[in-house]
Amino acid sequence: MIDLIPAIPLAAVICLLLFTALDIFWKLPQKGGVSGADVIGKELENSGGDKNGGWMIGNIISSPDASAGTLLAACGYYVWGIWGALISIVLVYIGARICADKGFAGTSGAVCAALIIWALTSFAGFPPESFIAGCVIAIFLVEGISPKHASRLLGKIWRKVS
Amino acid sequence: MEEGLMIVEGICVVIAVYCAIRAVFEPKTLKKLPYLNVMNFAVAGSIVLLMPYPLTICAAVAYFIGSTLESNAIASTFARLEEK
Amino acid sequence: MTDLILILAIFLALFGGIATLLVRSAFDKLICLGILTAGVVLFLVEKGYLDVAIVVSLLMPVGTIFILLLLGKKQEAPK
Repeated sequence: MIDLIPAIPLAAVICLLLFTALDIFWKLPQKGGVSGADVIGKELENSGGDKNGGWMIGNIISSPDASAGTLLAACGYYVWGIWGALISIVLVYIGARICADKGFAGTSGAVCAALIIWALTSFAGFPPESFIAGCVIAIFLVEGISPKHASRLLGKIWRKVS
Repeated sequence: MEEGLMIVEGICVVIAVYCAIRAVFEPKTLKKLPYLNVMNFAVAGSIVLLMPYPLTICAAVAYFIGSTLESNAIASTFARLEEK
Repeated sequence: MTDLILILAIFLALFGGIATLLVRSAFDKLICLGILTAGVVLFLVEKGYLDVAIVVSLLMPVGTIFILLLLGKKQEAPK
């Protein structure tokens, strides 16, 4: 049984690794998916960032990718357990189709996050609300402090992996 | 009463306020969008923490998808209109 | 408690509204209207109007898209 205060940094690291890995798996830093992501990537590159990292941050902003799926799966699990997570998976799939996003980054993020959250809350005693705080902190670390430096780090990781 | 919830709500509120202020005071328009996106994440989390009912999941998903559509529209229209 | 999120809603609505008045560029005004919408949706959820919150949060981006289309036509018209 873990307390809330040590659980939040652990949950933040888990969410960060989860959606970064899924976004790199779906090749989001390779090109701007929707036109808004392309524009944000070019702007971040012009102001000193990295091209691929900028496209990944642009895809996080302009399309429902794995980070959105992770947050909404955590919200669903907090409200109603595994049924809430299933509802949020279906809603994220519908929402991705509304945004004209042909990929499955958001839905896969929601499914993987629901599995990981279920496993950690059932067997390791994590409180479910720690994942909501963890996911918000993870996104804040990626885009909220300095998108320029984060894009450089993400670009380095992308080039090392692909 | 529920101290654990207060810590989680506090994190969402602080991150939302910080990113809203940073979004307004950022000079370039396209660079405001990352801070706006972080604020939308925090507000979607706060919606669910405020009323833990199943219909609230629908409200949080609808708000988040709406904010994603809006950011995408602003970014692509800004590029199209500023290139002339 | 939920008072903390209510304070967030009041801050976002006021800050977003005043910032919309004071910034110059049209795109910046649209972004500040998004901050105002966040505060409004939090107020609606607080009072229990969840269906109204869903409709507002899906229709405000539609309004933003209409305004962006009008901005395009305004720039094309003098040419």
